[in-house]
Amino acid sequence: MSLKHRLSAVNWLPIAAATLVACILLSLLSSSFMSYTNLQSVLVQASVTAIMAIGMTFIIVTAGIDISVGAILFFTSSLFAKLMMDTGSYTLAFACALLCATVLGALNGVLIIKYKITPLITTLATYTMYRGMAIHLTGAQNIPVPREMGFLGNGKLLSIPVPILLLAVVLAVGLYLFNATRFGLYARAIGNSAQSARESNLPVNKVTVFAYALGGITTGIAALILLARVGGLQSGIGIGIEFTVIAAVVLGGTKLSGGDGTIVGSVIGAIFLVLIDNGLNLMNASPYVYDIVKGSVLLIAVVIDKVSVTRQQQHLLNQRAARIRATG
Amino acid sequence: MKHLLYRVRQLLSLAVLCCVSALANADAIKLGLSVDQLFESRVGVLNAIKSEAQKQGFEIIEVVADGDPQAQNSQIQSLVTQKVDAILVCAVDQNTIERALLGAKRKGIPIVAFDRALPDSRAVDAFVGPDSITDGYLAGQYTAQQLAQIDGNIQVLELLGALNDQNGIDRSKGFNDAIAELPNVEVIAMPTDWDSARALAATQNAFQANPDIKAVFAATDTHIPSVETVLYDIAKLHPVGSDQHVVVTGVNGSNDGYQATLRGNADGIVVMDLHTTGVTAVQLAAALINGESVELNNVIPGNFYTTSNIEANKANIWGAQ
Repeated sequence: MSLKHRLSAVNWLPIAAATLVACILLSLLSSSFMSYTNLQSVLVQASVTAIMAIGMTFIIVTAGIDISVGAILFFTSSLFAKLMMDTGSYTLAFACALLCATVLGALNGVLIIKYKITPLITTLATYTMYRGMAIHLTGAQNIPVPREMGFLGNGKLLSIPVPILLLAVVLAVGLYLFNATRFGLYARAIGNSAQSARESNLPVNKVTVFAYALGGITTGIAALILLARVGGLQSGIGIGIEFTVIAAVVLGGTKLSGGDGTIVGSVIGAIFLVLIDNGLNLMNASPYVYDIVKGSVLLIAVVIDKVSVTRQQQHLLNQRAARIRATG
Repeated sequence: MKHLLYRVRQLLSLAVLCCVSALANADAIKLGLSVDQLFESRVGVLNAIKSEAQKQGFEIIEVVADGDPQAQNSQIQSLVTQKVDAILVCAVDQNTIERALLGAKRKGIPIVAFDRALPDSRAVDAFVGPDSITDGYLAGQYTAQQLAQIDGNIQVLELLGALNDQNGIDRSKGFNDAIAELPNVEVIAMPTDWDSARALAATQNAFQANPDIKAVFAATDTHIPSVETVLYDIAKLHPVGSDQHVVVTGVNGSNDGYQATLRGNADGIVVMDLHTTGVTAVQLAAALINGESVELNNVIPGNFYTTSNIEANKANIWGAQ
């Protein structure tokens, strides 16, 4: 296989190239962009979305989707803040928040499997339910979290910001699960064809529920980082983040139709989205152009992705046709 | 048989009770309360509305749209079919609910908008809410006074609210009007969409590009902890009175703003009077139901409290209760 074809098989390459181009452009437009501090803060800012995007990749690869992650984030943060306020116990608050996030994620998977309702409708319903639960739990009040918790969002270990370290750990686990385990393989097989996966006796139900549970736990970790960074619970937390997360995953090279995906691409996708905001902030752009620029960049990225997929498919078809001609 | 008669008697008593309570409720004035979504300051206004309604013997039917304008449209239509005597509305989006409001108007139901003005609405009979221009102006005036002695170009970071939110727009206008009194001032405006995570990122990026920013104005003081985080990270979190202090102000009156001002990290906050807003909304509705004429615009300016007087005024700050 030629280098060109080998490269075209790496599905996160387009977003990596786009990120590189964006970095070059931004470093030309703003002198402070390429500083170590700014690049570090870009990674810290991207950590929440990137961690959630890793979990979402497993879900989308199974041809699913979870739009309730924003609500899971809100509920997890609410539960943590409430438990901290009422009990003062970090251990209890951390354990309960992460457990709850995992259970809520898994519940989505169970509902989808058991009642065979489309993931979009199921998670739309649970989005409303989880948000309602969070508002009921806190009475829509803001709850500050203890100052020491800030370590999780703003602290450093060995001079590296904690959110970046947590992202690295989640990325390593995600890569291992996706590329080196049967779970990763089965998840892709289910995404390609759930029917064939069932006929091959693959544990479709278990794998699907586990994928949604992974989405839940990564959202739980992200929620705690976000809570620590912002300094307290606010009832608007997590609104709309599901779309940013899904955009990061799709931009990264994971197909919404399932079956094919990339963990590295999702993380780069999240970084790319933060870069746009960062660049506009650094250039002191007018507040009114943000959505136009972000929308346009997303549209261009999606079109490029579509074109590259079509070319890839065309190339495979040409290869197959050539083989048939050769044997004929 | 005896048991059956006993059950029948129980059922009849229950039916009579239901009828009596329905008749009693039919006499009570019913206020339809249509809310955009629930968050801390909104809950503060709602509590004041409910408490005043209870005082006046009114019944409240509350519906929450959770940020969905279409849902709010349907909810208002449902309030009309429930024959409420007046509607108190805090709109998600003026244009989407206008038809439902006009429908209510045609049925003779008075409409009071609260917290979010609906300036172009043909249906609203009265509005009560914050005087956001004055609120922003108070924060801007204080900031301008603090920075008046600085020579040369002065950079000020403004963390905007949602760009389509009238309160956010007005706070920004008021702040900019006041700060414009300073010569050579440059306002760096960053959108946050009322999201503290975005406010945090925007503040980080703004200080990265403009390390000499002298003041920060937050359209909502719930963003002040994010500002504190960034200032701490870049070793610029110095208390009020220190030479290197960055002036921080905000509007709202939340506990976040109160605590930051109390610590001396923020200079002051403009506190909205949520209680008066809620009480006035019910009083306006009552007057309209009685056929009295009322003022169309009823604005309630906030009070600006600084590090020197915020503790003494704790009772007036809704978030500190």
